[in-house]
Amino acid sequence: MDHAGLNWKNLLTLALAVGATAFAIARAPADDEAIFPMPAGKTYLNECGSCHTAFAPGLLPARSWRKMLAGLTDHFGEDASLDEPQRLAILKDLETLAADTPQANLRMRRINGAIPGNAAPQRITESGYFKFMHDEVPRHIWQRKKIGTPGNCLACHTRANEGRYGEREVRIPQ
Amino acid sequence: MKRYLPLLALFAALPLQAETPQQILDALVAQAGPASAARGEQLFRAKSTAGKTADACTSCHTDNPKAPGQHVKTHKTIDPLAPVAQKDRFTDPAKVEKWFKRNCNEVLARACTAQEKADFTAYMISVK
Repeated sequence: MDHAGLNWKNLLTLALAVGATAFAIARAPADDEAIFPMPAGKTYLNECGSCHTAFAPGLLPARSWRKMLAGLTDHFGEDASLDEPQRLAILKDLETLAADTPQANLRMRRINGAIPGNAAPQRITESGYFKFMHDEVPRHIWQRKKIGTPGNCLACHTRANEGRYGEREVRIPQ
Repeated sequence: MKRYLPLLALFAALPLQAETPQQILDALVAQAGPASAARGEQLFRAKSTAGKTADACTSCHTDNPKAPGQHVKTHKTIDPLAPVAQKDRFTDPAKVEKWFKRNCNEVLARACTAQEKADFTAYMISVK
């Protein structure tokens, strides 16, 4: 039998196979990327995304959003009240795209599955899913001036305002 | 293409409501009387004891209106306030009113007067 070990032909085949695989991985459709649907139009981005990341509605169940939008005059200590037509429009968008809607994608289902049915959590960063996904991030990284708090998604997830949280689009600021 | 649609929509909507900072200042002066950029700067830099999260405009917007700021709690980056550094500042009357309402309430625990708004706007326009 021919020796199947190191020869140029085998090496070339290996190199081509590795190259083709790498290429395929790099170009693969972002099926398992963390992509969440976002409300259409710019109201949500302008009204909710001025002071903080325009968090994807799919990061919390509808009951959480209902509770949040019922208490905007004291929104984590700040007055974030909206006029009523805008509040209702935003609430409708949030309910439509929340983690527990029938159209929810796999990731949203996973997020919702980790939240007890009788809870209406208000902080995305306190969810089991968030902690699990960020458990490799050490404290000193969160404390960097440009990040400051785990709720500052946009600091690292550069396209968070488009609902894109994929690892490939993470850029951790110095 | 799809991800540029919101941007296109924005450009399409702009001409409907865009004003110049001077037009916005003129409208405030019409309510308040002559504006003073110096008084506006004092207001911008003044420390308040009433603030819940921020005790001055500068807490989030920094001492320099031409520099980007950062929300004290969420750490989100805030575009510069001065029109010379950020072209869309003071071009949308509804947006200007919204932020005076929220931020005066936040820092001073009261609404700003028309005079204060006129002074503040005059100061921001005067920053070169």
